[in-house]
Amino acid sequence: MDLETAFTGIIAITRHSFKKLVFSRKAIITLLVAVFVAAVMGYAGTQDVDPLPDGTDMLDTLILFFFMPVMAMIYGASLIRDEIDDKSITHVATAPLDRAFSYAGYYIPLASAVAVSMFVVNTAGFLAFFAQNDLGGEALEVYLEFTVLVTVGAFVYSALFLAVGVLFKKPVFFGLFYAFIWEGFIGSLPGAIQKFSVKYYLRSVGADWVDYGRMSTFEEASDPLASGLVLLGLLVFFVIFGAYVFRETELT
Amino acid sequence: MEATALSKWYGEVIGLNNFNLDIRHGITGIVGPNGAGKSTLFKLALGLIKPSTGTMSVLGQTPWGNPGLHSSIGFCPDYESLPSESTGREYLSLVGGLHAMKGAALSGRIAEVSHLVEMNRALDRKIGGYSKGMKQRMKIAGALLHDPDMLILDEPLSGTDPLVRKDIIDLIKRLNKENGHDVIVSSHVLFEIERMTHDVVLIYKGRAVATGDISEIRDLIDKHPHNIVIDGEDIGALAKALLDEQFTVSVSYNDGRKGITVQVSRPDDFFNRLPELIERSGASVTKMYSLDENLEAIFRYLVGR
Repeated sequence: MDLETAFTGIIAITRHSFKKLVFSRKAIITLLVAVFVAAVMGYAGTQDVDPLPDGTDMLDTLILFFFMPVMAMIYGASLIRDEIDDKSITHVATAPLDRAFSYAGYYIPLASAVAVSMFVVNTAGFLAFFAQNDLGGEALEVYLEFTVLVTVGAFVYSALFLAVGVLFKKPVFFGLFYAFIWEGFIGSLPGAIQKFSVKYYLRSVGADWVDYGRMSTFEEASDPLASGLVLLGLLVFFVIFGAYVFRETELT
Repeated sequence: MEATALSKWYGEVIGLNNFNLDIRHGITGIVGPNGAGKSTLFKLALGLIKPSTGTMSVLGQTPWGNPGLHSSIGFCPDYESLPSESTGREYLSLVGGLHAMKGAALSGRIAEVSHLVEMNRALDRKIGGYSKGMKQRMKIAGALLHDPDMLILDEPLSGTDPLVRKDIIDLIKRLNKENGHDVIVSSHVLFEIERMTHDVVLIYKGRAVATGDISEIRDLIDKHPHNIVIDGEDIGALAKALLDEQFTVSVSYNDGRKGITVQVSRPDDFFNRLPELIERSGASVTKMYSLDENLEAIFRYLVGR
């Protein structure tokens, strides 16, 4: 298989998958989450708050560490698994394209869709809260920092949940456990155990950038560069692992 | 396509068992009842699953872990695999992209193939709105798009009405005769395969029970006692007339005495004599069908069970 064949095939799957993601019911979930986040943060903004630290904490808790893994799970865990289950994967599986390359055609649109989705949610929450209090340069700085963090998170969590969807026949069960129990609970425990969560490394990177709220005083943070490299390593590992599993999976 | 001592188990369930096969050029029919192993054979041929034991070779290559082989094979599955939210053109563009086709060459080929399967006027409609027959044609178009040497069509006639069946049968014959594609086509209805080819492989419970010219297999089948149901008025006189014939093994009344089930040893003789017997007995036949259309019964007979 030459590179041109691989490239054309990846583009074909990317286009098809992106359209599927954007025009699916999942897009409605994004809008509902954005409305929910805007309502919660909008209401919080009407209370007696210290805008920069309190707004930053809300973006931190509500968006980056709750909806971020949840949305990646909703989009990612079912993307390939649904196609395997309803057998619409057939045209990909019978193409002259190594399935490891096909996997890239799923990962790229998934990570992009999750990133766009989280961008919408992040923007809705930010505007709902800060528009009432402070839309100055410092607030915009916080917004940009969180936009970068959710984008990085989108790529790492998408890699994780896409691999989960290929590995498990019922990926949602594992996904729910991981998103809520592991990331939500284990990732919040004090001590070294939190280092086994993606959340810890995102927070470590954020601690170096963000000047307000709890994130700025995250005492257990690792070195930001090392944390960034760990996130990159996790992304690469999950993509390669998922591609390998997809390649070796029997499509019965 | 060649298979030697090929077996595939799904846990404790046997898909194929010590299966041997040698398919040459032309149209070959794979016939067997549901669950016989036809789809398992095709999945092995396409490298979608790997053999538990034995070897398989398609166009001289091992299918598992060999995606390059797919450029020489077109596959039409027996299940719904088309993206219902896409139009026919979008689906074919996706398939073309997966086969490294693009631009004007792809557009031209889409036009050519859709014309061949007579779907050119429905190309820009959503697949979700297609009839069963249109979906079958679109799947065949997807299989044909990259002009493969070999076409594997899994139950392409299933769920289609008689008119569509005739069209698809004609298309399959044309694909071989005029376009030079080797075709392996499966069905659980022997006479449908008979209309496409004389080369058949009969599969039953994961084994190839008979291979060769369909007429030889027909002879075997014709030796098997056939059960024929006849419904109508004044059927008693016909029953008596049938009992006097040499080919009749037994006659029994069905519920309500409006019909009989006749077991015959020589179906051809039965069908030749029947019009005369009906006329002589004064019976009025409203419906007649063979219970042995159920392929399962014939296969049980062929494997001596």
